[in-house]
Amino acid sequence: MNEIINDNTVILKKLHVSDAVGNTLVSSSSMNIEKGEIFGLVGESGSGKTLTAKSLINLLPDDLIFSADEMIVAGKNMLEISLRDKKAHIGKNAGYIPQNTVFFLHPMIKIKNQIADGFIDHTNNNKKEALVKAEGILSKVGFSNPKLVLNYYPWQLSGGMRQRINIAMALMNDPKLIVADEPTTALDSTVQKQVMELFRSINEELNISILLISHDLGLVKNYSHSLAVMYAGVVVESGTTKSVFENPKHPYTQLLIDIIPTMKIKKTEPLAEIPGYVQEKGRDTKGCLFRNRCPKAMEICETYVKEHEEDGHYFRCNLD
Amino acid sequence: MLRYVLDRVKSSVVVLLVVSIITFAVLMIIPGDPAQLILGTEATPEMVQELHTAMGLDRPLYQQYLGWLNDLLHLDMGTSYVYGESVKSLITGSLPVTLSISVFAMIIAVFLAFLFGMLSAIKKNSIIDYFSRSIMQLGTAIPSFWIGMVFIVYFGLKLKLFPVSGFVPLSDNFAGFIKSITLPSVVLAIGETGTLLRIVRSSMLDSLNQDYMDMTKVKGLGARKVYVKYALRGALVAPLTIIGMQFAKLAGGTVVVETIFSLPGLGRLVLSAVEHRDIVLLQGLVMFITAMVIFITLAVDVLIMFINPRIKSFQRGE
Amino acid sequence: MKKNLSIATGIILILLVLAMWGLSFVYMPYPPNEMNISERFLKPDFDSEHILGTDNFGRDILSRLMYGSRNVLLVGIGSVTLGTTFGIALGAVAAMLKKAASSVIMRIMDGLMSFPGILLALMIVTVAGKGLKGSIIAIAIFMIPVFARLVYSMILDTENLLYIKAAKSYGTTNSKIFFKHFVPAMLPKLVTQYSSAIGSAVMIETSLSFLGLGIQPPYASWGLMLSESRQYFLTYPYLAVAPGIAIIITILGFNLIGDGLNDMLINRRSHDE
Repeated sequence: MNEIINDNTVILKKLHVSDAVGNTLVSSSSMNIEKGEIFGLVGESGSGKTLTAKSLINLLPDDLIFSADEMIVAGKNMLEISLRDKKAHIGKNAGYIPQNTVFFLHPMIKIKNQIADGFIDHTNNNKKEALVKAEGILSKVGFSNPKLVLNYYPWQLSGGMRQRINIAMALMNDPKLIVADEPTTALDSTVQKQVMELFRSINEELNISILLISHDLGLVKNYSHSLAVMYAGVVVESGTTKSVFENPKHPYTQLLIDIIPTMKIKKTEPLAEIPGYVQEKGRDTKGCLFRNRCPKAMEICETYVKEHEEDGHYFRCNLD
Repeated sequence: MLRYVLDRVKSSVVVLLVVSIITFAVLMIIPGDPAQLILGTEATPEMVQELHTAMGLDRPLYQQYLGWLNDLLHLDMGTSYVYGESVKSLITGSLPVTLSISVFAMIIAVFLAFLFGMLSAIKKNSIIDYFSRSIMQLGTAIPSFWIGMVFIVYFGLKLKLFPVSGFVPLSDNFAGFIKSITLPSVVLAIGETGTLLRIVRSSMLDSLNQDYMDMTKVKGLGARKVYVKYALRGALVAPLTIIGMQFAKLAGGTVVVETIFSLPGLGRLVLSAVEHRDIVLLQGLVMFITAMVIFITLAVDVLIMFINPRIKSFQRGE
Repeated sequence: MKKNLSIATGIILILLVLAMWGLSFVYMPYPPNEMNISERFLKPDFDSEHILGTDNFGRDILSRLMYGSRNVLLVGIGSVTLGTTFGIALGAVAAMLKKAASSVIMRIMDGLMSFPGILLALMIVTVAGKGLKGSIIAIAIFMIPVFARLVYSMILDTENLLYIKAAKSYGTTNSKIFFKHFVPAMLPKLVTQYSSAIGSAVMIETSLSFLGLGIQPPYASWGLMLSESRQYFLTYPYLAVAPGIAIIITILGFNLIGDGLNDMLINRRSHDE
């Protein structure tokens, strides 16, 4: 079966990220993103989801160290590649949409001068051709007057508009993978929906894989095909959205799903929460990191966690 | 923004007024009798009295001040006691020299400071970083006259590459002009480069830490675009401000260098006025030079505001 | 760490200068002003009696160097101390007074600061006279506005801090507040500025001496020694080496201490946040 050609956009096996001092930030996390799939990566702050995503596209801060059994992004093995080739490969094949719309666009450079430079560098086009393409993409993401927008500075646009610019910028190179880091958190709810619909249409029309990072399980449920749930730097459960939501196996996932506010909550009912907090240190234990907050914890969870995988539904728990 | 400019102009005028009062006070009031000061101890009382009246020192103080101020506003700075010429013509004759070396020195300093400042920031804590910073510390501690003398002997006399004295005006001969101002400008630049380098380095470090640099990583851009187009662009505000201040300071502080290299600039004029106690000349010179300094600072500030108009509002509003 | 290296180096350099200074009171190889025409222009030679050689008048350079250190330090430290004292007083007064009066004081300070340093010094030397006294007064006046502005803005900033308002509401007396709260808050910045100021003061003093407006001959000052060496520099370059290096070491020393302290302050502030 080794002959099967796997054109998954991302194949990640057992990613491990630690800082300069030796603290483990992410441990033993794996995920597969299929081609043309929206993949949600869910977790609280500090769960390691951003670091995991950043390690895939060469955005990990220089003072962090990572290792993995396998890391294949858009067809190339990221572990055995020179830094130069890595930069070129990511530049051509990946896009990044940040959470914060303010600081990721250079305030002193006009949109037209920053939206296209990745494109110009990696293809043989000149600036004029690049701007033509940019206009096309800008109108696709919802701008009615792309020419005007190109001449603006970032601070002349609203938050929602800037996010669309980010999206357009990520699309310039016809990437295979877009990493969207909490793309709607900083936006108002009406704009949120628009942006998410935009993601969906990009994914459906252009068949681009999107890694959608979010702490909002409801959002992920509505928009992603598959997802992974991370806790304290570990992927505790992953699989297709359908199977994870219909049959959540990990206690953390179960609790998360329970606490999604729905329209059915009575006004007087308090919103549920999971007592305790995510631990920052001590993440390199062999036991289960959730045991201190898990309602079903057992003694064996101190030292050992069992991994299961059935039909693409993966989870780490000593329960079955 | 226009309001900001007007504010700055307004406060510059006020400062200039204060400067004029200080200058007048120091040179006219404090020594007691300026006429006595000018003529020295050898003069007879009659001579002193004559000069006293001729200078209008019999009038009440405030009248003297206002009279002087009025003359200044009409660009009349009086006649130099020592040279016999009008102060105004002396100044206009010497100004090109001082400006030439100040401007050239600034160009050299800016070039070196940006080159090494950026390198130090990009390769932080590397050998080149420590090297630049050490040289910078040294540069600010070396007295200009000392290094000037060394240059004169080595580059001027031994290697005969540059003239050791005298100024060749631009109108005469371009190559001669450049040669005559090179050594003094380099000496001036040595004192300024260090401070500017430090500012460039720390601004670059800040800029490199900004989020927009992440996007350059994802886009896989080449080094030139990353460092010059993005990082440097975000690091310009502080250095530009300092450059303005430094240039103003330079323009007013060329006395020593002009002395060593025998350049007939404003600084030498000042020295001559001090040595001969030519109060009138000194008054005019001090006012002119300080006014020049204030004006240059104002102009640079306004220029920066024009170049980066929205940085301020951006940081404020968003 | 880099900043400690800075301060350490600076302190070592200053200690060297202080050692020379202290020694000058106890022992100098030769009287610094003693001329000996038959022994002029001797090159430096560690084995000879004149370790650093003699100048154009046959005076021993090492002795003049040591003697000159007295003047340099006297003017450098003296003028800055004078300027600091008046500056702090002025700044504090301006901060206590309100609106109009303090505005006037600060405008005068702004005016003073607009003069390029050398120019101000030259102007004051013209009326205060050349020599030791003139130099000290000139440099002191140059330093006053720097410290006045610093103290003024620091007091205004600290005044608004919550814990000061709290202390005031308890009824703590003003002078107690001043000494217990303001002074510790202001001290680090003031000390840093003081050290850097001495570096600048030495630079100005040597420039003034070089121009013939500072310490007058036959007394020794490093700037004066350099100026005197000018005409013989071509044939006897060593004449300029000793005083030049002495000046550089002194200025570098004070600057390093000032910069090192400054770095420490910046880092400490970011740790507190």
